[in-house]
Amino acid sequence: MKEFLREGGVALAALVLLLGAPLVFSSPAFEDFIIRLSALALFATSLNLLIGGSGMISFGHGLFYGFGAYAFALLMQRTTLSLVSALILTLVLAALVALLVGVVCIRLKTIYFAFVTLAIQMLFYSVIISWVRLTGGDQGLQGGIPRRVIADIDINQQSHLYQFCAVLLVAGLFAMRHITASPFGMTLRMIRDNEARAAFLGIPLWRPKLAIFVLAGVFAALGGILASLFVSGAYPEFADWPFSGQAIFAVMLGGIESFLGPLAGSAILLALNDIFTRLTEYHGLVQGVVILLFALGLRRGVLDFLRVLPGRGEVASR
Amino acid sequence: MDLEALVACFASPACVVTQASSGLIVGLLLFLVAAGLTLIFGVLKIVNFAHGTFYMLGAYIAYSVFQATNSYGLAVLAAAAAMAIFGVAFERFLIARVYGGNVLMQLLICYAVVLIFDDLVKLVWGADFHAMGMPEAFQRAPIFIAGGVVPPFYAGLIVLSLCLAALLGLGLGFTRMGKIITAAAYNPQMVAALGINTTALFALVFGLGGGLAGLAGALAAPVRSLSPGMGFSILIESFIITVIGGMGSIAGALLTAIGFGLLRGFGTIGFPLFTDELIYAAMIVVLLIRPSGLFGREIV
Amino acid sequence: MNLEVRHLTKRFGGVAAIDDVSLEFPSGSLSAVIGPNGAGKSTFFNLISGALTPDGGHILVDGEEITGRSQAAIVHRGLGRAFQVAQFFPTMTVRENLMAAVAAHRGQWGSLARRFPPPGAQARAEEIAAMLGLAAVADRVAATLSHGDQKLLDIALALALEPKILLLDEPTAGMGPEERARMIDRVQHVWAEQKLTLIFIEHDMDIVFRIAERVAVLCYGRLLAVGTPDAIRADPAVIAAYLGTEAPTP
Repeated sequence: MKEFLREGGVALAALVLLLGAPLVFSSPAFEDFIIRLSALALFATSLNLLIGGSGMISFGHGLFYGFGAYAFALLMQRTTLSLVSALILTLVLAALVALLVGVVCIRLKTIYFAFVTLAIQMLFYSVIISWVRLTGGDQGLQGGIPRRVIADIDINQQSHLYQFCAVLLVAGLFAMRHITASPFGMTLRMIRDNEARAAFLGIPLWRPKLAIFVLAGVFAALGGILASLFVSGAYPEFADWPFSGQAIFAVMLGGIESFLGPLAGSAILLALNDIFTRLTEYHGLVQGVVILLFALGLRRGVLDFLRVLPGRGEVASR
Repeated sequence: MDLEALVACFASPACVVTQASSGLIVGLLLFLVAAGLTLIFGVLKIVNFAHGTFYMLGAYIAYSVFQATNSYGLAVLAAAAAMAIFGVAFERFLIARVYGGNVLMQLLICYAVVLIFDDLVKLVWGADFHAMGMPEAFQRAPIFIAGGVVPPFYAGLIVLSLCLAALLGLGLGFTRMGKIITAAAYNPQMVAALGINTTALFALVFGLGGGLAGLAGALAAPVRSLSPGMGFSILIESFIITVIGGMGSIAGALLTAIGFGLLRGFGTIGFPLFTDELIYAAMIVVLLIRPSGLFGREIV
Repeated sequence: MNLEVRHLTKRFGGVAAIDDVSLEFPSGSLSAVIGPNGAGKSTFFNLISGALTPDGGHILVDGEEITGRSQAAIVHRGLGRAFQVAQFFPTMTVRENLMAAVAAHRGQWGSLARRFPPPGAQARAEEIAAMLGLAAVADRVAATLSHGDQKLLDIALALALEPKILLLDEPTAGMGPEERARMIDRVQHVWAEQKLTLIFIEHDMDIVFRIAERVAVLCYGRLLAVGTPDAIRADPAVIAAYLGTEAPTP
C-alpha cells in the first residue's frame, strides 16, 4: 500500500510540474517535445509490458499505434462523436483488434510470435497504403481533426494539447505501473523467467499472456491517438516497421528492466533525433551509428545501468 | 478482382508463358535472397534483418562496375564477391558480439546497419532512382515460346538461378562442407566438439548468404530500378518466403519462392489490388497450422 | 493421500520406457525409486505428474483416477514435484519466487486489485523458506544461489502448492557430501512435519538406505522389486541388476 501512495505521489508531483512549467517559462519547443514524447513513451512503455515484463517479444506492436491513430482520426472526421467518446471508442476497438491478433499469435513460440506479429503489422500497413479512399494512402489522412473541444477546453491550441497529453502520459504510465506491480504483473514475470514452472504452478498460461497482449495494445493505441492529435491526422509511417524499430530502440536504450526505462529511452531518442535532423541530412546514418555504439558498447539500458542491482535488503520493487 | 481476365489468360498459352516467366524471375530472385536468409537462420539462429542491405548494395555495386567496365559478367561477379566479404565482415565484427544474447540486440544491430547503409548509398549514389539498363548481350529479340514473350535476360536469369539452386542443394547435401553446415544447423555444440572451427564456419555461412543476396541484387539490377529503400521490401518478402518454406530449408525456400512469384505473375491479372495481402495471410495461415514452415525443422 | 499405479505403460517408438509397472505408495510413506540409468525413473515421475500421457494403465490418488489429466489438474489434486534440473524463476529473489507461487496457488495470479504481494503471501513464503533452511538467503536473486540452494528452492516452490504427495527427482544430484546431508535432513524434516507421501528418485544408496521406508527398483522400465531397504539390499535380482556395485553417484 505504501508503494502505491509513494508512486502516486511521484506521479502527482510530475503532473504538477508538467502542468505548471508553461506558467513559469513559455517554450513552444518544450511543449512540442513533451507532446511527441507522450505519444512515443506510452507506446514504448506498452511495448515493454510485453518485452521486459512478460518475455513476449513482439516485432509488430506498431500495429496498435497505427490503428489507434487512424481509427481515432477517422472517427473524428466521419462521425459526430465528441473527442472523449472517440478516444474511448478507439481504445475499445483497439482492444478488440488486439484480442483477435492475440488469439492467433499467443500460442506461437518466441521467434514465430515475433514474425507473425510483424507480418500482421505489415499486412495492416499494406491495407492502409492500398485503401486510398479511406486512408489517403501513402499521403496520409488528410483533412485534419475537427471538434477538438473537451469541456470548453479547445485543444486546437498547442498549450492545451500539451496539457491534455501531459495528463494522459502520467495517467497512462501510472496505470501501466499498477499492472506491472500487481500480482498479475508478477505472474507475467514468472512466465518470462520460466514458463514451464509457471504452468506447473497451475497457471493457465494463455490467459495472462492474452490479457497483457490486449492491455499493451490498448496503451499503444492511446499513444497513437496522441500522435494523431499532434499531426491532425494520421500517417502510414505510424504503422510502418521502422517506427516499431525506433520504439524497440527506445525501450532497450532506456532499459527493459526498469519501468521508466522506455520513458527515458524515448526522451533520449527524440532529443537525439532532433539534434541529428538539425545537423545533417543523413540522420539515418548518425542514428545507426548511435545504435551500434549502444548495442556494442553500453549494452544495457541507461536506467538499468544506473539502477542499484537487486539483492539489497528489501523486496526489489520494479 | 478480375477473374475473367485471369481465366482468359490461363486459356492462352502465350499469356501463361509471359506471365509465368515474369513471375518466375520475381520468385527466383527472391529465392536467392531467401536462401541466404534461411541458411543464416538455420545455422546461426540469427534473424538477419540486414539481409536486404546486402541485396541493395549488390545491385548498386553491379551498377557502378557495369558503368565503369561495361561488362555485366564482371559486375555480377564483383557484386557477389563484395557482398560475400561484407557478409563475413558483418558477422565477425558485429554479429559475433551478440551471439546468445537478447534477440532484440541482434535486431538492433541489423537495424542500425540498415539505417547506416541506406544513407551511405544516398551519399554515394544519390537518392534518386537509378536504372542500369539492359546489358548489350541481352539486348536481343525476345524468345517466343508458345506465342508468349520471354525476354532473353529472363530466360538467362531463370536458368542461372535454377542451376544455383541445384548447386546449393547438392552442395549442402553431398559435400563435406555442406554436411558440416547442415550438422551445425542441428547441433552447433556437437560440431564444435568434433573439432570443427565453428567460428570460421559461421563466418562462411554469413559470407555465403551475403554473396547470394548480393548476386540477387546484381541480377535484379537490369530489370529493377535502384533506390536506397529497395532493401526493405525484398527483406520482408524473403522473410515470408523463409517462414512459409521453413527456416533452414533450401528446398522449402525454392518452392515457396516460385509459388510466390507465380502468384504475383498471375495475380497482377486476376487480383492486382491485394496480392500482397494474400501473401501475408498465407504466411499467417501456414504459421498457425505448421509453425516450423512447410519444410522446416522444429525449432527447439 | 495415497498414490497407486496399476499396470502403467509408456512407449516411445518401439521401446517401452515404462512396462506394466504396478506400485502403491501408502499415505504418509517415504519411498525411494532407484534403478540403473535409463531405467525409466524420470519417465515414471513424468507420467504421474501429468507431463506425459500413459499408453496403458491407471494412476490413482486416494482411489480417484488421475490418468491422462493435465498437469494443472493434477497439481490441483494435491501432487507436487521438484525437478532433476532445478526449476525456478531466476531473476526474482527467493522470497519473490515463493510469494509468487503462494499467490498463484491461492488463485491470485491474475489479480490486478492490489499491489504485489497480496496479504498473507509474504508470511507464508517466509514460513516455507524457513522450513527448507532458505531463510538466510531469502533476499538473494535466485540465479545467484548455490546449486544446493536452488534445488531447495525448487522443492520450496513445490511445497507452496500445499501438496499431499511430493515427487522429488534426484534431490541431491550434483551435490557434495555436506550439501547432500543437509538436503536429505531437510527432506526428512519436511516429510515428517507436513505428513506428506514422499517419493524420491535417487542414485546415492547411502541416502536411500538411510531414510527410505520402502524402496522400489526399476530396471529397463520394469519393476524389479519393492520392499524395505534391507530386503532390497539382499534381493538377488537387484544385486544382479547393479552387478553388486553401488550405482556411481553422479
